[in-house]
Amino acid sequence: MTRVLVVDDAATVRLYHTSLLREAGFEVAEAANGLEAVEAAMTTPFDLFVVDVNMPKMNGYACVETLRSETVGTAAPVLMISTEDRPGDADRAYQAGANLYLVKPVAAERLVRVATMLTTGKDPAA
Amino acid sequence: MGLVRKQAPEPEAPQVLDTDELVRRLDDPDPELRREAALELTGIPAAVPELLARVGLETEPRVRDAVLTTLAAHDSEAVAAGLAVHLASDEAGLRTAVAEALATMPGSVPALLPSLLAAPDHDVRVMTAMVLADLPHPEAKSWLVRMIAEDPHPNVVTAAIDALLPAASAEHRPVLEAAVLRFPDDPFLAFTVRAALPRLTGTA
Repeated sequence: MTRVLVVDDAATVRLYHTSLLREAGFEVAEAANGLEAVEAAMTTPFDLFVVDVNMPKMNGYACVETLRSETVGTAAPVLMISTEDRPGDADRAYQAGANLYLVKPVAAERLVRVATMLTTGKDPAA
Repeated sequence: MGLVRKQAPEPEAPQVLDTDELVRRLDDPDPELRREAALELTGIPAAVPELLARVGLETEPRVRDAVLTTLAAHDSEAVAAGLAVHLASDEAGLRTAVAEALATMPGSVPALLPSLLAAPDHDVRVMTAMVLADLPHPEAKSWLVRMIAEDPHPNVVTAAIDALLPAASAEHRPVLEAAVLRFPDDPFLAFTVRAALPRLTGTA
């Protein structure tokens, strides 16, 4: 089963993303900030990370940088989802090591489609 | 003959630095010295402008956190206003750290709320909802309700809903349902409210 870590400080956002992904057949774990995500990634291999930007303790960019660093060293795809849609936000995400940056809100079908594409390389809608 | 105890050496008195020296140390190349200086400037109003000037410049997160901790302890309108400008920062670490600091300033943040709630940048209003989520103030819930009822941007409304939900009750049901009607095309907002309503009405 494909394992996803949903990282967001907002409980409602975690619930939303987790519910959609579980319904689509993913195995989902949750983290409330970047620090928790890094700790989880050091003990459990994940196939996909869905990461928010604005979080306490460790923000999303720092989280993704750490996931990509030698400390964790994961090559699993990272999808960043944020309310931030200013010029440069997406570039910052890609610099940190994200594979895709989406702006909230993300429709259910789109989230599942993107998660499937990032983890299998195939478009389920094709 | 009884044993003669050796006198323990007198402990060295800790070095007391004056404010000017501590302010100078805010620019020291050693981040640990900068952090210590920031913490030692606690309770010194004369240092506030210098500390505020460092918030946007400090690159070391632990030093920045020390600066913010010292500033937040003042809980004055000058500090709140000086910090609030960073809610619009392009740097995620800075804006979230500032939001956390503002959330510990119930004495001075309320005066800023009219301007924060009217900020033209909706991301600033999202960060304001994050501040209100943790602000220990009796009116925090009322401001969040106002955001949910009035803000024109769905991401601000969902951030306010997320901030309100841990403390929400049945009285908030109408404002939540009205938000869904205001943004019928927002799937997340509808999901969030649908998931929350049973708990609010005690049917979860």
